Amino acid sequence: MALLELFNLSKRYDQHTIALSDINISVNKGEFIAVIGPSGAGKSTLLRCINRMIEPTNGEVTFDGVDLLHVKRKELRRLRTKIGMIFQHYHLVNRLTVIENVLHGRLGYKSSVVGALGIYTKKEKEQAIQLLRMLGLADQMYKRSDKLSGGQKQRVGIARALIQDPKMLLCDEPIASLDPNASKIIMDYLQKISQSLGITVIVNLHQVDVALQYSDRIIGVSQGQIVYDGTPTDITQEQIHQIYGSDFDDLMVEMNKEKHYAG
Amino acid sequence: MDFENIMKRIAPPSNRPVRVKPMNQSAIVIRLTLLSLVILTIIGFFTYDDTDVGMLEGITATFTNFKVMFTEPHFNHFTFMEGLYQVLVTISLALLTTVIGAVISLMLGLLAAKNLSTPKISNSIKNFVAVVRAVPTVLWVLIFAIAAGLGSVAAVIGMTFHSVGYLIKAYSESFEELDDGVIEVLKASGANWWQIVWQAVIPSSMTYIISWTFLRFEINFSVAVAMGAAAGAGGIGYDLFMASSFYLDLRELGTITFYILVFAILLEIVAIRIKRHINIT
Repeated sequence: MALLELFNLSKRYDQHTIALSDINISVNKGEFIAVIGPSGAGKSTLLRCINRMIEPTNGEVTFDGVDLLHVKRKELRRLRTKIGMIFQHYHLVNRLTVIENVLHGRLGYKSSVVGALGIYTKKEKEQAIQLLRMLGLADQMYKRSDKLSGGQKQRVGIARALIQDPKMLLCDEPIASLDPNASKIIMDYLQKISQSLGITVIVNLHQVDVALQYSDRIIGVSQGQIVYDGTPTDITQEQIHQIYGSDFDDLMVEMNKEKHYAG
Repeated sequence: MDFENIMKRIAPPSNRPVRVKPMNQSAIVIRLTLLSLVILTIIGFFTYDDTDVGMLEGITATFTNFKVMFTEPHFNHFTFMEGLYQVLVTISLALLTTVIGAVISLMLGLLAAKNLSTPKISNSIKNFVAVVRAVPTVLWVLIFAIAAGLGSVAAVIGMTFHSVGYLIKAYSESFEELDDGVIEVLKASGANWWQIVWQAVIPSSMTYIISWTFLRFEINFSVAVAMGAAAGAGGIGYDLFMASSFYLDLRELGTITFYILVFAILLEIVAIRIKRHINIT
């Protein structure tokens, strides 16, 4: 059975602004999906509708067999702990240390008081240290998080999402503010996480070449609709043209490897 | 080339002044206001009524008073230790009102912050607080004096009231400075409101909270002095009132001013130390 299913999902902000219309996607466990499309196409809205950070207007979202749109707040909280989220601007609490920021991923599992006071079990702390070590941040553990570079901050973001023990990661433009080097590191980690831990990863990307290189599946979104859904090897120049509404030659994409598309 | 032409045009030969600022409505209003203030000042100098006191005479007399106050201070109606005790009473008044005010404001400040509350609750608290702040502290004390009688109780309630008004605005604005994304991240990971507040919002705004609270403490100290004089709240302010309008004792007035000055400077030093400390950690 699919891990996540979106059925006829729509989001309308008001009568005239339709952010998403009739989205149908079925996502399997362990898939690495790249969502591409021009700015304002509805990529971020799509991602946020999945965990109801934005309330969809109508449609259905089924995650792990549960109808997400009709659960109570408490149940929604529980389900959100199973969905990690990573953002373009990392959104760490600057004044706190790296490890404190990582441990924030566990708040969803705790009662209000215990979480508010920031009391974590020894096991959770050890897990945080392990994750930081895995992501190459062992030396930065007790640094204030605003002392880190962009790439390091994003890795802290990944650790914070992973400590939730998620079944799925939603990444909203995770590399849009990073240099090519740091971007590669982040994408490599995401790929590794998807492959070795079997976690489903859905990434919004601006960079078509990165999407083609890393993903198992590409979803092209344009004006709130899915215009392409398939493997990166099958996508043609015409389809990319359709997604971005401009000639392929005008796009700043290096598709040096011909094998990427059969066009 | 084009570039040269542009460079030449940067300094065009012209006799007309070139305007940089647009002459719009607000610029006209500002100029008219300044002009009328200048005119009023000049008229004021020509028309004020100095009865039989000459300008020079008045100034020298004032300086003589200052000289008596500050160079010949003495203890007449109270001893050094009694004076010290009275200053401590004043500081306690300031501390009490600041602490109570800070606790109440922290809670209401969270509810008043747009990013942590609903627009309806946030706006109603903010509007209410704006009204509270618009009325001066002294007036609040006198208003509460109707119910509590003139004295320290009215002073505490009135000063707390105004402190709350001031601190809610300060706190909620520092909470609003927090990056919305941080709240979104924690919400998306399943954290609830209390956890977000204590784990992200308050740690991020701690510097602001401390410096605003201390600033309010300094304000409350000077208000507490005035309250001792105006509302019978006790402390050094009451001695000030007695020395100035009852005993007409300039020298004792000087002593009291020194007391207040020394403590104000001490508070300032402590404030600077604390701020430096929180900026490091």
